[in-house]
Amino acid sequence: MVSPVLLIAVPLGLAFAMPLIALISRRLPRFVPLVACAFNLIVAIRLIPTVLSAPVIQRIGGFSPPFCINLFAGPVGVMFAGLIALAGLVIAIYALSYIRTGPTVRYHMLYMLLLVGATGVVLTGDVFNLFVFFEVLCISSYALVAYFGDRNGLEAAAKYLIQGAVGSALLLMGIGLLYGLFGTLNMADIASRIGSVSDISVFVPLALIVSGLGVEAAIFPLNAWLPDAHSSAPSSISAILSGIAIEVGLYAVVRMIFTVFGATSIFMFLLFLGVLTVLMGELCAFAQTNIKRMLAYSSIGQIGLIVFAFAMASTISLAGGLFQLLTHTLSKALLFLAAGYMIHRSGSMEISSLNGMGRRMPLTSLAFSFGAFSIVGLPPFIGFPSKFLIVRSALEKQQTLFTLLLGFVLLGTLVEGAYFFRVVQAIYFKKSGDEPASRSLAPALPLISMLILAVLIIFVGIYPQPVADALSTAASDLLDRAAYIGSVLR
Amino acid sequence: MRVFLSLLALAVIALGIAMTLTDIPFGKPKADIATHYVENGREDTGAVNIITSVVLGYRGFDTLGEVAVLFVAAMGLGAVLATGTRTPKANGWEPASLVLYTGCRFLFPLIVLFGAYIFIHGHLTPGGGFQGGAIIASAFLLTYLGCRGRRVHEAWSSAVESLGGLTFVVLGLAGLTAAGHYFLSAFLPAGTLGQLFSGGIIPLIYIAIGLKVGSELAGVIDRLVEESQ
Repeated sequence: MVSPVLLIAVPLGLAFAMPLIALISRRLPRFVPLVACAFNLIVAIRLIPTVLSAPVIQRIGGFSPPFCINLFAGPVGVMFAGLIALAGLVIAIYALSYIRTGPTVRYHMLYMLLLVGATGVVLTGDVFNLFVFFEVLCISSYALVAYFGDRNGLEAAAKYLIQGAVGSALLLMGIGLLYGLFGTLNMADIASRIGSVSDISVFVPLALIVSGLGVEAAIFPLNAWLPDAHSSAPSSISAILSGIAIEVGLYAVVRMIFTVFGATSIFMFLLFLGVLTVLMGELCAFAQTNIKRMLAYSSIGQIGLIVFAFAMASTISLAGGLFQLLTHTLSKALLFLAAGYMIHRSGSMEISSLNGMGRRMPLTSLAFSFGAFSIVGLPPFIGFPSKFLIVRSALEKQQTLFTLLLGFVLLGTLVEGAYFFRVVQAIYFKKSGDEPASRSLAPALPLISMLILAVLIIFVGIYPQPVADALSTAASDLLDRAAYIGSVLR
Repeated sequence: MRVFLSLLALAVIALGIAMTLTDIPFGKPKADIATHYVENGREDTGAVNIITSVVLGYRGFDTLGEVAVLFVAAMGLGAVLATGTRTPKANGWEPASLVLYTGCRFLFPLIVLFGAYIFIHGHLTPGGGFQGGAIIASAFLLTYLGCRGRRVHEAWSSAVESLGGLTFVVLGLAGLTAAGHYFLSAFLPAGTLGQLFSGGIIPLIYIAIGLKVGSELAGVIDRLVEESQ
C-alpha cells in the first residue's frame, strides 16, 4: 500500500528542488507541477478503495498518537487530495502557455507550494499542523495574487494579506487556548476530551478558530478580500483560488466543527450564515459588469450553498455539500480558464467586450457556457445532481424552516441563472461593434485543459451515482466522531 | 464610531479569552503529553536537548512545514519585488571607512562559525537550525552594511537553499523505506546520549535547516537591499 504522506512529501521535495532545476535550465521548472500533480493523482486514486473501507492513520516519526503528529487519510481527505491534484494538473497544463511573463520560475514554485499546503490541510490530524499547512497555503496565495505586479494586483494582495493575517492570528489564538485547556494538539485527543470543560471555555476557542478559518473559506462577513483578490490575480490563479483554496478553508471549518468540537449547537447559526452568504454573493454578482468579479462573487454564493448543505448535518446533505464542492471546483475552474483567454483576446474584463465572442473563439466560448450551465445546475452537467441532492436533503428534513430557507437559496440560484445566461447571451447573440469577426483559437494546451474539465463535468453529470455513493461514505466520515477518535487513538 | 466599534470588538475578544483562561490552571502541568515528552524524550529521540526532541522528534513534521512556510515567504517576496520595474542603478553610496570594512571582513567568518556551531550542536545545547541560520544571515547583513560592494552569489545561495530542503525531505522519505515504515522515523543509530555524533537523523536535519535558513534569509536581505537602492 502507498503511504498517504507521499502526497505531501513528494510535491514538497520537488518544490524545494525547483531552484536547482532552474539552475540546469530555466525552461524545466514549469513542467515540475505537472509531474507532482500527476503523481499525487495516481497515489490518491490508488488510496481511495483502501480508505473507503477504513481510514489510514499515518504516524509521523513512528511514535503513537497523541504523542506524534498523525495524518488522517479518510475518504474526505483522500478525495480532497485527489481533487486538488486533478485541478492542479489541469490548471498547470493551462499555465504552461498562459504564464509567459514575469518571474515564471517563482510562479511555478509558489503554485506547487500552494497545492502542498492545501493537501496538508486536508490530510492532517493535528490542529497545529493544520495551522502550519494553512499558512503555506495562504502565504503562497498572497504572493500569487500580486504576480502581475500591477497596481490592482498589489492592492488586492495587500488587502488579502492583512485580512488573512488577522484570520491566522485568531486561528493561532484559538489553537493556543485549546492547547491550554487540554494539553494536546491531536484532533482526536481534543475531540475525546472536549466534554471535560465548561461550554463557555470551549466556545471561545471555537469562535476564534471558526472566524480565523472563515476568512479563507470566504463565509459571509469575512469575505471582503475575495472579489478583489480573485479578479486581479492571473486567471490560472483565480481558478485555483476559487476552485481549491476556499474549499480547503471550508473543509478545515467543517472538520473543526464536526469532528474536533462536535458543536451541534451552532448548526442553526451556520444555516442562516449560509443562506445570507448565498444571497449576498449572488446579488452582488448580478450587479457586476466585470466578468472576473462576477465569477468571484458567484464563488461566494456557491460557498454559501455548500455551507447551507453542511449545516443541515445529515448524511445526505453532507454528501450533497461535498458533491456541490466538486461541482464548484470543476466548473469554476473551467469558467476562469475560459474567461482568461477571452479576456486575453478582447483585452478587457468588461462583460460587454465579450459580445460576439461565440464567433471569434468558438471552443473557448463553448467551454465557458458548459461551466456556466453546470454552476447554475442544468442537466446533463455535474451541477444538476449535486444541487438536486441538496434540495432533496432539505426537503427530507420536513420542517417549515428548512423549506423556507431552501426557498431563499433557490432564489439565489435563480439570480445566478439570470447573470450567467446574460453573459452566455452576450457571447452568442450580441454582435461585436468594432472588430471584424475573425476566428481564432486559444493555444492548444489551454484548450486541452478546458476539454478535460468539460468532459469531466458532462461525464459525472450523466453518471453521478458512483460519485454520490463514494461521497455518502465520505459524509459519514465527517459525521461519525466516535469512529474518528477510535481509529486514531486505538 | 469606527474606533468605538473596534474597541468594543477587542473588549469582547479579551473578555472571552479571559473567561477561558480561568479554566486553565496557571503553572500546573495539566498535560500528560508534555510530561511524557520530558520523561521519555531523551530515550525516544536520542537528543539531550528536550526542545529539540520535541521539535525534530515528536513534531518533526511541523518543522518541515515551517521550513516550507519560510521558503514560501522568501519566494513570495522575491516574486513580488521582481515584478516592480527594475532599473539597474550603480549604487552611489560612499564606501565604508577602512576600519569598518576590515572589521566586517574579520567578523564575518567568526559569525558564520558561531552560527554553524549553534545548529551543529542543536541536539545538545540550546538553539538549533533556525537560530543558527538566523545568525549566519546576520553575518551577511553585516557584510551588506559594512562592505557595500559585496553581494551574495545568487546561484550559490539558491543551490544551498534547495539542497537543504531536499535533504530534509529525503531523510524523511528514507525513514519511510527503512525502519518501521514511518515518515521521519529515526532510522540511524542513536549513539551515546550527549555525544556530538548522536541523535540519529536529528543533527543532519538541523544542519540542513541551518544552511537553508541561513541562505534563505541572506537572500531576503539581498532582495530588500536591492529594492532600497
